[in-house]
This record gives sequence, structure tokens and C-alpha cells, in this order.
Amino acid sequence: MCGDIAFVVEGDVKGPSVCHCPQCRKQSGHLWSSAYAPEPAVKIEGPVSWYEASATAKRGFCARCGSFLFWKAHDEDTMSFALGAIDGDTGITLEKHIFVGGKGDYYEIEDGVPQKP
Amino acid sequence: MTRGSCLCGAVTFQLTGKMRGIIACHCVECRKVSGHYWAATSVAEEDLNFESNEGLAWYRSSDAISRGFCKTCGSTLFYKPLAEDRIVVSAGALEPGSGLNMTHHAFAAEKGDYYQIADGLPQYAEFTGGERA
Repeated sequence: MCGDIAFVVEGDVKGPSVCHCPQCRKQSGHLWSSAYAPEPAVKIEGPVSWYEASATAKRGFCARCGSFLFWKAHDEDTMSFALGAIDGDTGITLEKHIFVGGKGDYYEIEDGVPQKP
Repeated sequence: MTRGSCLCGAVTFQLTGKMRGIIACHCVECRKVSGHYWAATSVAEEDLNFESNEGLAWYRSSDAISRGFCKTCGSTLFYKPLAEDRIVVSAGALEPGSGLNMTHHAFAAEKGDYYQIADGLPQYAEFTGGERA
């Protein structure tokens, strides 16, 4: 949001999804949407702060404005990036809702996009 | 009383009194900070009581607004209209069982191109209605 961190994703992106897990709901304030690409294709400029909510992954955010930007599994060579952070049109269409078993009790998922437990 | 917290627990709080229905906000700032779009209730400032605020940090996003987040884990938590005696609180931070429901979508004209709003709730191009706690 503040511009301290910027990124460019080169090449194709995969897996555009909305995550309803409690960790993403807590960190985003509602829901987190992301896609992923090979880690070297996600060119990041700026001081990303990382938080490890579990032993398997780290979550990247901006320490100045709090924007939730990245998610990286330690045993994967891909980087997930927030779709909400993209400037202008993305040309991307959501493919799935994930971890819907952890969804909040104050909203419904009714957009017809496939749901994964 | 409803409790809420950030992801890491460095910010924990209680909400008492009347809570506004949850509004989803699709404005560019809320999309940037949340990573998708934001959803939040609103309470009187005096009805927000911190159990811990050691992680709390503020970003002044405009002359009129400060946004609160956890500096340890990056959780989006609050939106404070500085001239008003209320504070807007992340729905995602609240424990289950708040009894709140989403009422409408604000700033739908600024939504991202990669998702649809299809839950049947009213959509407004800008902000409208129910802003008072």
C-alpha cells in the first residue's frame, strides 16, 4: 500500500486462489488471494519482513504499512504473491477457494469457483 | 463480548457494546493491505480494549485515516477515521461466534478483475450507509 515494497512477476503464474485458512484470515483481515510462480521469477524490491506462523512456511509483509504480500513454503521453489497487490488489471481469473473448512462464520462462498476443503 | 487477535498474538483485544454489521471493502487501499479485499466491523472507540498491544503499529494512509497492524506478523487489524470516535476492526481477527454477518460490499467499482462478487449482498460503487457503530 505504501510503496516501500514492489515486485514484478515474469512469465506464467499458476494457482490463482483464495485462502480461507485461519492463518490467512487473521493476517489479511478477511481472506487472502494469491498466485504463484518459480521463486526466481518473482523479483522483489524493498524490505520484506517475514513471519513464520508454522515450521513449513513463511509469510512476507511490509513493516511500514502492514500489507500482506508473500507466502513461501520452505520445501517448495515457488513464491506465492498477493493478487490484491497487483497494480491495475491482472488478466487472472480465480481457479479455486482453498481451506474452506477453515472459513469464517460471517460470510458465504457463492461465486461458483471450485472449493477445496 | 467478542475477542480478537492478530496471527501471532502480539495484539489481542476485546470488543464490547454494539458492533456494526461487517462491510466488505474493495477499495484499492484495502485490496493492497489485505492481499484480496478487506472485511470489517466498526465499534465505538471506547468499546475496544486491548489485552496486549505490544505488536501494534500504525500507518497514516491519508490525512484522515490511520491503519493499524501487527508489526511482528503483519496482520491487518484496524482502520481509524481520525476525526471520528469509532474504530473499524478486521472481521478476520475476530473469534468465531461474533454473531455478525456481512451486510454489503463497498467500493465495488474498485474491485479486482480476477474475482466476482456473487453472494447476492448489495454492492455500492463507493462507501455508503451504516458507517456508524
